[in-house]
Amino acid sequence: MSVTPATAIVTGGASGIGAACVRALREQGLQVGVIDLVDGTEADAFVQVDVRDAAAVAAAVAEIEGLIGPIDCLVTTAGYYREGSIADLTVADWQDMLAVHVGGTTAAFRAVLPGMTQRGRGAICAIGSELGLCGDPFAPHYAAAKGAIHALVKSVAPEVASANVRVNVVAPGPTDTPLLRDDPNFESYASTLPLGRIIQPDEIAAAVCFVLLEDTTLTGQVVSPNGGAVM
Amino acid sequence: MSSLRGIEGRLVLISGAGQGIGRATAERLASEGARVLVNDINPDTAQAVAAQVGGHAVPFDVSDTAAVDAALTGIEVEHGVVTLLVANHAYMTMAPFVDHSEFDFERHLTVNLIGTALLMQRCLPGMIESGYGRIVAMTSEWGVIGWPNATAYAASKGGIIALTKSVARAHAAHGIAANLVAPGTTDTPQLDVDAIDAGLTHEEMVAVYAAESPLGRINRPADMAATIAFLLSEPAVALVGQIISPNGGTTRL
Repeated sequence: MSVTPATAIVTGGASGIGAACVRALREQGLQVGVIDLVDGTEADAFVQVDVRDAAAVAAAVAEIEGLIGPIDCLVTTAGYYREGSIADLTVADWQDMLAVHVGGTTAAFRAVLPGMTQRGRGAICAIGSELGLCGDPFAPHYAAAKGAIHALVKSVAPEVASANVRVNVVAPGPTDTPLLRDDPNFESYASTLPLGRIIQPDEIAAAVCFVLLEDTTLTGQVVSPNGGAVM
Repeated sequence: MSSLRGIEGRLVLISGAGQGIGRATAERLASEGARVLVNDINPDTAQAVAAQVGGHAVPFDVSDTAAVDAALTGIEVEHGVVTLLVANHAYMTMAPFVDHSEFDFERHLTVNLIGTALLMQRCLPGMIESGYGRIVAMTSEWGVIGWPNATAYAASKGGIIALTKSVARAHAAHGIAANLVAPGTTDTPQLDVDAIDAGLTHEEMVAVYAAESPLGRINRPADMAATIAFLLSEPAVALVGQIISPNGGTTRL
């Protein structure tokens, strides 16, 4: 992208890593639209959407483009973490986990990519997970869904590269967000990291800004600020 | 280009910065307000780049333990503690594996792997004392996936990966982030080694690699410089022992 990006959409931008991305992108001078289940952001535009509904995601992207202009950057952070063993998880548990993460990410990709490829520029950053790299014995459906996002990005990146659209993953390790605070084991886990502490949302957002805003040949890659959990 | 926190005013040492990726990194970091030390084994190119970016030339042989120690001692007296280190220098020849002489393998390992280790070892105490450090070591796409006719180079670059991950694990808790950049084939003077091996001109070699890249262009030194600059920034502390691979999408691991 030789033209400076001016606009971005962040799914799941109302809280946690998504909200940190909204703040960081706005600090870099972008106009940012948010798609989330709940409001509460400082974004320039907001549409309340459940990302499991692909048609609603497409309509929300169109509505945000009407407010802030064609979208240069997309960040997909919408998601949730829930524990469950392979023995106890139901088909409905699996379907919902995959619908939100893989379906929601795919829906957002499909909503922004035609415009990006037509304009010949764009950058996408999907939030994956360290657990998508190394697995999670406490949440196999979450790890599988995040791993699927990584494979999705590596598949889409070469397809759209010739149109000068870059697609990458930022795969966070344990990050100080409401999603992690629900996990009773997180403090003991943090002490096992080489970094010795959990990661701050603004540190993830800095990696997202690098991936999206720096004009590089980075595409189809997984960048993992994970405190040394996986290397 | 995004604005980066934690680089302005800091002392950065870049090895092999007389040309190519190192030179582009010196330019980028100078533009971010870093105090740039330009190392190269060639004093003339080090001096030229230092003059261009408003930095200081520190020519020395990174694979010579005594030379590294003497240079860093002089740097600490004159400029202060190096808290940002870019181990970028490299030696590369190409030939079929069975023809590679033992001497050449040694030279790859001595310059690339041991040179990187010596720089890290000498700079780490100052970083530990400061409670702050960022180290970027240059590996290569070929150090990750291997490459025919570049066995010695690839092996030395693979060694740099294990070295840097080990340093990252040991020192992350000291506020020191050590990470790697694995460039895809980049349009630098080093590309002439590939071109000669393939019997092509530099321009023909660039065209071959551009055609192989999903992004349709060869990697530029500035692509690597931007990636290095991010890894040297303050919030990059969350990255520990990671490999970032700007390669146009040719290799996706």
